[in-house]
Amino acid sequence: MGAAAVGAVGMPEALGVGLRGGEGGVAARGSASGGEGGTPDPVFRPLTDAALETARLLGASYADIRIARYRDQSVFLRTQAEPGGTKIQHVPNVSDSESFGFGVRVLVNGTWGFAAGNKVERDEVARISREAVNVAKTNSALMRQPVELAPVTPAMDLYRTPFVKDPFAVSLAEKADFMRAINDAVMKTPKVFMAFSYISCRFEHKWFASTEGSYIEQYIQRVDPGYGATAVDRAQRKTRDRSFQIGPVTGGWEYVEAAQMLQSAQRVGDECVERLGAPPVKPGKKDLVLLPSHLLLTIHESLGHSTELDRALGYEANYAGTSFLTPDKLGKFRVGSDLVNIVGDRILPQGLSTCGYDDDGVKTMRFDIFKKGIFVDYQTIRDQAHLIGEKASHACCYADSYASIPFQRIPNVWLKPSEKQVSLDDLISGVDEGILIDGTGSWSIDQQRYNFQFGGDAFWEIKGGKKGQMIDRVAYQSRTPDFWQACDGIADQRFWQNFGLTGDGKGQPTQTNEMSHGSAPARFRQINVLLTE
Amino acid sequence: MLSRDEARALVDGIFEKSKSPEMSVGLRWQQECNTRFANNQITTAGFTSDLRLDISVTLGHKTGSTSTTETSDDGLTRAVRHAEDLAALTPEDPEYVVPLGPQSYPEIAAFNEATAGARSQQLLPALRSSIEAATREKLNASGFFDVTTVASAIANKRGLFGYTQRTWADYSVTARTEDGTGSGWADSQSPRLGEVDSARVSSTAVRKALDSQKPRRLDPGKYTVILEPAALDEMLMYMTWGMDARAAEEGRSFLSKRGGGTLLGEKVFGENITLRSDPFDSRVPGWPWSGELPAEKTTWVEKGVVKAMRRDRYWAEKTQTKPVPFPSNVIMEGGSSTLEELIASTQRGLLITHFWYIRFLQPDTVQLTGLTRDGTFLIEEGKIKYPVNNFRFNQSVVEMLKVVEDMTAPMPVNNDRLPAIRVRNFNMSSLSDAI
Repeated sequence: MGAAAVGAVGMPEALGVGLRGGEGGVAARGSASGGEGGTPDPVFRPLTDAALETARLLGASYADIRIARYRDQSVFLRTQAEPGGTKIQHVPNVSDSESFGFGVRVLVNGTWGFAAGNKVERDEVARISREAVNVAKTNSALMRQPVELAPVTPAMDLYRTPFVKDPFAVSLAEKADFMRAINDAVMKTPKVFMAFSYISCRFEHKWFASTEGSYIEQYIQRVDPGYGATAVDRAQRKTRDRSFQIGPVTGGWEYVEAAQMLQSAQRVGDECVERLGAPPVKPGKKDLVLLPSHLLLTIHESLGHSTELDRALGYEANYAGTSFLTPDKLGKFRVGSDLVNIVGDRILPQGLSTCGYDDDGVKTMRFDIFKKGIFVDYQTIRDQAHLIGEKASHACCYADSYASIPFQRIPNVWLKPSEKQVSLDDLISGVDEGILIDGTGSWSIDQQRYNFQFGGDAFWEIKGGKKGQMIDRVAYQSRTPDFWQACDGIADQRFWQNFGLTGDGKGQPTQTNEMSHGSAPARFRQINVLLTE
Repeated sequence: MLSRDEARALVDGIFEKSKSPEMSVGLRWQQECNTRFANNQITTAGFTSDLRLDISVTLGHKTGSTSTTETSDDGLTRAVRHAEDLAALTPEDPEYVVPLGPQSYPEIAAFNEATAGARSQQLLPALRSSIEAATREKLNASGFFDVTTVASAIANKRGLFGYTQRTWADYSVTARTEDGTGSGWADSQSPRLGEVDSARVSSTAVRKALDSQKPRRLDPGKYTVILEPAALDEMLMYMTWGMDARAAEEGRSFLSKRGGGTLLGEKVFGENITLRSDPFDSRVPGWPWSGELPAEKTTWVEKGVVKAMRRDRYWAEKTQTKPVPFPSNVIMEGGSSTLEELIASTQRGLLITHFWYIRFLQPDTVQLTGLTRDGTFLIEEGKIKYPVNNFRFNQSVVEMLKVVEDMTAPMPVNNDRLPAIRVRNFNMSSLSDAI
C-alpha cells in the first residue's frame, strides 16, 4: 500500500510544503513579516566602530566585524516498546541553547587575519581586533599575491526571513504532543521497532559592519521538522529505516503546520516494514527516475561542489578537494544534456541559504551556473572573483559561527523544471526497466566531483512503464558528466519541490553549511546499479 | 586558560542560582590558533577563544538543557532560569538515570604549556619550509596547521567534579603537480607542538606527489591492498562507533546474532586482530571521563574475539551489567614488520595512502564505500612499480579484518594508534578519475 503513495501527483506529503513553482513560481521577495528593507538597530554601533577603528589605526586596509547571536532549539522524541516489555514509551531529548560573540576580519599588507571572542564588550572587541591584525601581519611574511576584493556597494539595511508564526513561540508541550501523535501513528504498523521525530528551530541574528561603510542587521529563521521509522528482522540480522521526506527551510511554524506530517505517518511505518522485506535489486544498467527528495543530494555533490570557485582554484586541495570544472572549461564544457539548467540562488523563498546579504556584505542574488547543460559560471566571493576576471561577487560568502572565518559556500542550487508539460507518470511510462528512488541514503563522491555513488531511502522497480514493487539494497554509481548527459526527462513546474540540506562540511577548521536544492523529478538512462552487501 | 579553581568557582556560582537539587554543568573553554595555506601561500588564519557552558536542570525525571556563551552574572542567571523553565515543560524521560555522585577521574597527561601559548609566529616556520620544499620541486602545496587548547570541566550538585586541560596540534600538507596528475598528502598530530613532525609531513607529501604523477590505468577488481595507518583509521571508526551493546542486543548491529543474542565472546575477526582503548596513552591521550563515567582501559577485541561493547548507564542498569564508557581512542595491536617489509613481501597489490568520503553502504554488515586519494601505487614482486588511478571501494570492514595477512607496529594517527595492514580481496568497485 505504501508504494501507492508515489504516483502521478508525486509525493503528496511534500507537495504541500516544499516550495513549488520553479523560476516562474517563486514568490516576490519580502513580505509584511520579513524580507528586505528597513533600518538596522544601531545598538552595536559603538562596538563595530571600535573594531573597525582599531584595525584601521593598526594598518588594516579593510576590516569587518560580525556580531552574532544564535539560538538552537531541538526537540527529539524516540518511541519504542519498553526494553524487555511491550509498553510503548516515549523518550525525549530537549535542548535550547544560545551563543553570542563576534569575529573580526582584517586585511593587512594584502593578507587576511581573523580573530574572535565571546565577550561582546568594547575593550574585548578592541583587543580581539588587535589579535586579528597580529595574525595578518605575521602571515604577510609569506604573501605572494595580495588579496583583492571585488567592489561592493556599502549598505545600511535590515533583512528578516519572512515567516508567519515564530517557531520558538510554539510551546514545547505543543511540539512534544505533535511528535508523540506522529510516533504513535508510525508505531501502529506492526513490526515497526522504533519511531523517531524531531523539530529543530534556529535563528541567527547578526550585525555586519565594514570599513567600507556597511552596517547590516539580519535575522534569519530556520525550521527543520522530520520523522522516521526503524524496522528490525532479528532472524536475518537486518535493520531498515524509512523517513518522511521533508527538509529544513528558512521560515516559520506555518511550514510545519502545512506539511501533513501526521497524515503520512502510518504510510511511513508501512513502507519501513515493506522495505525490510523487499527483494534485493538485480544489478546492472538501468534507467532511473529520481524524485526531488533524492535529487537534492545528487545535485549538491556533483554540481553544487564542483562549481565552487575556491575548489577550482585549489584553495580546498588539502581537505575537501579541487574540482574537475577548472576555469578553462568556463563557458564551453558540457556537463549535462540540453535539459539541464541550474541556478545559484540566495533569494529563493524558503531556501536554507537565503538571506539579504552574505558574510562579505554583498547583496544576495540569483545567477546561472549551467545553461542547457553547459557550465557558465562559478559560485564566487569578493576575494576570488577577480581571479577569473569577474568584476563582482555572487554573494556566496558564509561563516557558520561568529568564531568562524567567512569563506565561499554553496548557495541554494536548483534544477529548473521542464518548460513543456511533463508529469512524473510521463517519466515513468518511458522506462522499460528501471528504478524509482525517493529520499537519500548512502552518499559519497570523489575529491574532484566525478565518481559518485548514492543509495536512497526507498526504491521501487519500474517495469514496462509502470511502477512496481518495492526493492532494496540499491545503490547507483556514475560519473558527473556521464550522469547529467544521460538526463532525458525532467518534469514540469507542477512537480518542482525544494529540499533543504544541513551539515555540509568544508574548510579547515571544518565549517558546516546549509542550503536548499530544488528540482522536479528527472529521468536518467542506463545508469550502473549495484547490489549492496 | 581557565584554571581548575576558576572553573570550580564558575560552576558553584551557577549551582547557587537554582534551588533545584538536581543540576549539572559542563564547561568548555577553548582557544584555537590556526593557519591555512594553498597555492603556496597563506590564505586564511585565525585566533579564537570561546567559553561555553552547558547547564541542565532536572525536576523529577524531566531534564531541561541549555547552553550559553554569556558568562556575565546576568547571562548565567538567564541561562539557569531557562534550564528550569525547560525542565518544567519537557516530557518525562522514561530512560532517566540518576546522576553519579563524586567520582575519581584519572589524571591524564594531555596538556603542554608551550603548545597552549602558540600563536601564528610559532606556526610560520613549518609552513615556510613546506612551501619552499614544494616550490623547489615545482609543486603546489596547501595545508593546515591548527593548535587547540581546551580547559574542560563537568560537575553536578551531587558533588561530582572533573577538570582537565588539553592541547592538540595538527599539521597536514597536500602537494600537487602543476599538471594536476599527481597528489601527495601527509599529516602529523600530537598533544605537544614540538612533536609534530612537520619535516616528515612536507617530505612525504612532496615525494608522494612526485611519485604519483601520471598514473597508469588499472581496472577495478579485488586486490590485495596495503592500507597505511591513516587509511585504516578512516575505515575503522565506522565499525568502532557501532560497537554498542544496546544496538547489538536489540538486533540492530553487526554484532547482533542472527535469530537473537549478540556476538559478544565470539570470534568475529581474524586471530591477529586485537583492539583496545587506552586513555593513558601519552601520544594519543583520551579524556578522563565519558559521560559521567571515569575513562578506563578497555579491550574490545582480543585475538579476533569480541570482548566488550560500550554500554551507557541506562542500558547497564536495565541489563544489570556494568556500564562501559565510549572508546576515547582506538589502539590496534600490530605486528613486527615495517611498511617496507610489507611491500617487499607482497606479490601483487596496491599501496593506499588514505581515503576520502567514506560512508556506510550497508550498515548491517559495516559495508562502506569511499575513494582512494593522494597516492595509490601498484606493487609487483615486492616493489612499488608505478602509480595507478584512484578507485572507489565497496568493502565491509568486518570482512576485511578477517583476512589481514601482515601488519606493522602501531603508530599514532589522528587520536588513535594503528598499524599499516595488508589484506586480501579488497573490493575496488569502480575507477575514480579524480587526482
